[in-house]
Amino acid sequence: MRIALCSTFVPFIYGGARNIVEWLQVMLERQGHTVERVYLPEVDAPDLLFQQMAALRWIDLSAADRVICFRPQAHLIRHPHKILWFIHHIRSFYDLWDTPYRGFPDNAKYRGVRDALRAADNAALAEAKQVFTNSRVVSERLKKYNGVDSEILYPPVFDSERFECRSFNDEVVYICRMEHHKRQHLLIEAMSHVKTAVRIRLCGRSGDVSYADHLRALIQKHRLDDKVTIEDRWISEEEKVELLADCLAAAYLPLDEDSYGYPSLEASHASKPILTTLDSGGVMELVSDGDNGYVADPDPRSVADALDKFYMQRDETRRMGVRAAARLDELKISWTHVLERLLA
Amino acid sequence: MKVLIVNNMAPFVWGGAEELAANLERNLILAGHQAEILRVPFQWEPAEAIPTQMLMMRAFELWNVDRVIALKFPAYLIRHPHKTLWLVHQYRQAYDLFDAGQTNLPPGEQGEALRSMIREADQQAFAEMRSIYTISDVTKARLARYNGREANVLVPPVNDPERFIGGESQGYVLAAGRVNAMKRQHLLVEAMRYTSPKTKLLVAGPPDSAADADALQRLVDQHDLGDRVKLDLRFLSRDEYAAYVNGAQAVAYVPYDEDALAYVTMEASQAGKALISACDSGGVLGLARHGETGWVAMPHPEALAGVLDQAFADSRRTQAYGDGARERLHAMDINWPSTVGMLLQ
Repeated sequence: MRIALCSTFVPFIYGGARNIVEWLQVMLERQGHTVERVYLPEVDAPDLLFQQMAALRWIDLSAADRVICFRPQAHLIRHPHKILWFIHHIRSFYDLWDTPYRGFPDNAKYRGVRDALRAADNAALAEAKQVFTNSRVVSERLKKYNGVDSEILYPPVFDSERFECRSFNDEVVYICRMEHHKRQHLLIEAMSHVKTAVRIRLCGRSGDVSYADHLRALIQKHRLDDKVTIEDRWISEEEKVELLADCLAAAYLPLDEDSYGYPSLEASHASKPILTTLDSGGVMELVSDGDNGYVADPDPRSVADALDKFYMQRDETRRMGVRAAARLDELKISWTHVLERLLA
Repeated sequence: MKVLIVNNMAPFVWGGAEELAANLERNLILAGHQAEILRVPFQWEPAEAIPTQMLMMRAFELWNVDRVIALKFPAYLIRHPHKTLWLVHQYRQAYDLFDAGQTNLPPGEQGEALRSMIREADQQAFAEMRSIYTISDVTKARLARYNGREANVLVPPVNDPERFIGGESQGYVLAAGRVNAMKRQHLLVEAMRYTSPKTKLLVAGPPDSAADADALQRLVDQHDLGDRVKLDLRFLSRDEYAAYVNGAQAVAYVPYDEDALAYVTMEASQAGKALISACDSGGVLGLARHGETGWVAMPHPEALAGVLDQAFADSRRTQAYGDGARERLHAMDINWPSTVGMLLQ
């Protein structure tokens, strides 16, 4: 089949939205499909939105047998066989409208833009043969704001069979970009409350140098040099596999993310349990407390308790690791399932 | 610097311009820049839909980009304060192909309106450019003739010069490149009827169609040339292709009126191989110089037979021509580092 994968992008910004497209491309090509990847520029500035949406309406992809659309407003592309794998709205006009993140005034002009945008989205959603989302929260928003039913299709990681479980050392790893809303600082603060010899390792590139500096200052302040390792750099895929193979458990503590996040998925593939918090959002779709990890309160003491439990109750830790891998099957997080549904 | 290459996409088709964009991207990165390619779908059928696609290009917003290098119509219509044009081609059906009666624009008033719209948009886009380069003399001449725009030629360099290191001759003349009637490999096969028994020819490359391959095979069979003419008509990997070039006594390329210098002649020159061409081969003659870098013959089998034999007659002279071809190519300064430098000037 000739399949066009359509998404929008900002040049030179690389993130999860590109991974889902590019990994799917490889998987489709491995199955013998011919794939064209169509990335079109889009910036979410409210005053420039509609001209860009018009451009998307004028794209001619009639050469494709079907199109699969990802990042907004790619779902506006016209095609007789349009499938959406909807990953988010332009949130400032939806769930973020009544929050400080809106970024523009609540006046007649922007209410007009909002209503027109929602009407255009509704029309584009109605054109789709199938609407999939990447998480429960996105499905709920589609229902709430657009009145659209959708099916959750959890995005898998690439070549998950790379991950393995070799041993359980004394280290809980947090492999993720270092950013304030990923809350590496919460994990460091927890370390000043642990009672066992558990250690943590934070790895990943920092989006913002000052946050990495802040983390180092915290380590200094709590005198945690011998318990906390921080690697503020790009971690290769091979390194990631190695770290997860031998770690005790993995941490993923974002603040209210839409989806469960690749770090928790990768840990599960390595049969390692996951530490997260009650307010992490989508991670809660994957992790249940005491089943495949621990769900702590978002405060240092509660997180410290969980770290100690990983260390003290090794059998339990190992058992939860096995459950973490099994949980992926329960949620059908696999490329086989994704391809089956997208090509149905 | 963040450099965005902007190109068209004919969905599910990969051709020379896509290859050029990919190599430009790679070489921008090698030069220490961030580079990425924006490929925007463009369908020229039906012609009535061309204006909306032009408008579409104008409606996109580019943020987080320092420089744009645009290659084709309508990709080059995109708005950006710092655009450089490296023109592969305009919408030729509104220009020279229109004049030649080969256009998909409808006849009459509607076609005229489309044509003037395309030309107007081009004029505006060219006026916005910081600088304008074309990939060949032919494109440059077209731009001057139809749009009154001056441009400099930047010939797309060989992408992997490190493969073309030359080497010991394995005793054959190589006829390389795509195989079709315009490239005229059949002239070389026919020429082999008149050559000396020790002259050997290898025709290697992808045929455009099965008929192109059959035609050559029939000639070989008909004239019983199987022991001196080898046909390897398929898509060759770069390694296979480079090995054929590096092992050749000389490289023959005799297309009819080619626009550009052509990769085949540039790669052969890079490998220090003598060139064989025809006097009506067009742009190729920029490198193929009779008595200096090889031989240029009349486009007839008998004439070509003479120069094929000459390639084997005096190997020392043949090698001197090969050295001359390499020198001539290097004197043209066609390489990626200086090309990238010019495009970002």
